[in-house]
Amino acid sequence: MSLIHIENLAVYAGNTELLAPISLTLEKGQRLTILGQTGSGKSLLAQAIMGNLPNSLRTEGRVTLFGEEVNAKQRQRFWGRRISMLPQEPWNSLDPLMGAQQQLEQTYRMVAGESAANAQQKAAYTLALQGLQDSGHKRVDQLSGGMAQRVAIACAMAGGAPVLLADEPTKGLDVSRRDQVVQQLMSQSKQGALITITHDVAVARQIGGRMMVIKSGELLEQGNTSDILSAPQHPFTKALIEADPVNWPDKTPASSHKTPLVEVQDLTIGRGNKALSKHLNFTLHQGEVVGVVGDSGCGKSTLGDTLLGVHQAMEGTILRHSQAPLHQWQKLYQDPTAAVSRAVSLATLLEDTVKLHKIDRARIAPLMRQLGLDEALLQRNSEGVSGGELQRFCMLRALLLDPVFLFADEPTSRLDPITAKEVSQLLVDVAKQNGCAVMLVSHDPDLIEKRCDRVIRLDA
Amino acid sequence: MISSLSRTQKTGAGLLLLLVAYAIFGPMLQNGDATAQDLNHILTPPNSEFWLGTDHFGRNMWIRLADALQLSLMMAALCVLTSAVIGVTAGVLAATGGRWLDRGLDALVTMILALPGLVLVLIFAAIVPGSFWMLYVAISLIQWIEYFRVSRAITQRLTRSPEVQSSKLMGFGQWYIFRRHYWPAIAPQLFTIAAFGAANAILMMASLGFVYVGIQPPLAELGLMIVEHFPYYSDAPWLLAQPLLLLALVVLACHLMGRGRTQ
Repeated sequence: MSLIHIENLAVYAGNTELLAPISLTLEKGQRLTILGQTGSGKSLLAQAIMGNLPNSLRTEGRVTLFGEEVNAKQRQRFWGRRISMLPQEPWNSLDPLMGAQQQLEQTYRMVAGESAANAQQKAAYTLALQGLQDSGHKRVDQLSGGMAQRVAIACAMAGGAPVLLADEPTKGLDVSRRDQVVQQLMSQSKQGALITITHDVAVARQIGGRMMVIKSGELLEQGNTSDILSAPQHPFTKALIEADPVNWPDKTPASSHKTPLVEVQDLTIGRGNKALSKHLNFTLHQGEVVGVVGDSGCGKSTLGDTLLGVHQAMEGTILRHSQAPLHQWQKLYQDPTAAVSRAVSLATLLEDTVKLHKIDRARIAPLMRQLGLDEALLQRNSEGVSGGELQRFCMLRALLLDPVFLFADEPTSRLDPITAKEVSQLLVDVAKQNGCAVMLVSHDPDLIEKRCDRVIRLDA
Repeated sequence: MISSLSRTQKTGAGLLLLLVAYAIFGPMLQNGDATAQDLNHILTPPNSEFWLGTDHFGRNMWIRLADALQLSLMMAALCVLTSAVIGVTAGVLAATGGRWLDRGLDALVTMILALPGLVLVLIFAAIVPGSFWMLYVAISLIQWIEYFRVSRAITQRLTRSPEVQSSKLMGFGQWYIFRRHYWPAIAPQLFTIAAFGAANAILMMASLGFVYVGIQPPLAELGLMIVEHFPYYSDAPWLLAQPLLLLALVVLACHLMGRGRTQ
């Protein structure tokens, strides 16, 4: 008897097909990874399997769980006990007012039906297994992202459900935490079935098992994960795999650029009265791409703000060897939608910049072609374009100012892998052409490795 | 613009438009004026000659109500405009200017808030009784605070946001940042505050008229009319009902306008 058997499951909004019919079967001990970009309909599939799609959407097809054909409403009685879902950004699904252990305890009592004493014992034991024995009393806001994720997974598994659906379980985590979460999912699912939804090729590779590749609601390819990853058939799958920084071609060797731009001596940076990083010494040269890495909260963004003069240094000196005016020291933001006004069209914003600095309009068109930006895009405002397009628009604006220094604060972390690859490549190319120094912040060591000439490591 | 309004808001706007039309064009449809007395025709019930009847001095109620409504709407419009301009300017300056400016304005606002609003207006109104302009100053003095607090909170959040930092790095000045970042964030909130503020201004003026420190007779004012007609409630109940109903309708129109944006 298979745990999950799905026949021609499809999702519609009115008459529009959001997810083309998909069939799949999972036996005990099997793992399935659904790979696709943001907006490809992966989460819809998970919700359709769970049976918690919004009422405005309609599903078709048959779902058989544990040998029993059940409709969406009947599936609710399986929730938690036989099929469980780990939603995206799980810290949002934990109770913000309750301690971690208390939540887990309640799950054992209410969902699994344990006695109070048993539930308490099991909760304490599970937390200790996760290495969280000292954090049982902490609320979500006191836990780090990785810890909250482990608590959420423990809660999702507490009901003893043999089938676990994990929707982007590693989104926004850095590499070491990502690996931990994947390990935990794998060990939890040995006795049942695991469906993982992700856009991260590295996660798919670790989980193994079978794989389905989805693009705009269509199933492109399915088979063994190792087969697909080593010999992808569909061009989209190829692009997705190539976009994983591990598979990027190595960078062109750095040309020797020895004109110093900024010299930093014994710099201490911090927010408020708290020093984040101490005794930094380095020199940036023109046309150089320098990576900045370090754990979250070690002051990567603060370093940028301090170099740009937005933020006061706590100690030490920053020596600028260039007389370039302030507007040639620019920054790219992690979340471009937060860095651009949504009140007016992009064309108006561009026009504002051109007027303020009397930029030659003839330069715009070639630069836009190089960045792959379409003229028509400018008529929309920042909410009407995708994150990748907006980030490229930000680059366009910054590059028109002929920057001598560009601080790029995780410029690709919110973009899907294919766009991330393009954007980071463009950034490096354009910077080198214009002799602009780039500081690239990222939590992805592979990206830093493939894009940067050298690396500055910050320690908290 | 109109299509972005909710059904509730459209109802409110329609009602308000009707009331404005009555206030402006109403008096033209009947002869006479608001203060002309005719003691031969006191407490006339509504008829074909006097559409809404006459009061205890035989004054034409159709014209008096229109006059009173005109006064109330004018007061509301002036107060909303003044307090919005002052409040938003002060709010943005407090959030972007120096620390001392922010503290000073905050102290001032706290002091004003420590007094009940209506008491403050009463004090002002008692200084120069019956002055429309004194009432206007007093009501605006209370109402700018809401605009101030909302604009200050929004601007404070934005000053530290990436979008403002980015614009500053590109060399744009404060006025540009206000136009492109602060104002677009503040403006949608203003509409709601303005709608409720207008209703409050009208109610405040009527309250003052009711306790005889607002607009003085023989001018027509809704609150004043209510207290003037009160002694005749058993002889002419329709007379007392008219200003009450009109007041309720104006306030309702304003409140309906303020609804819907948040959903």
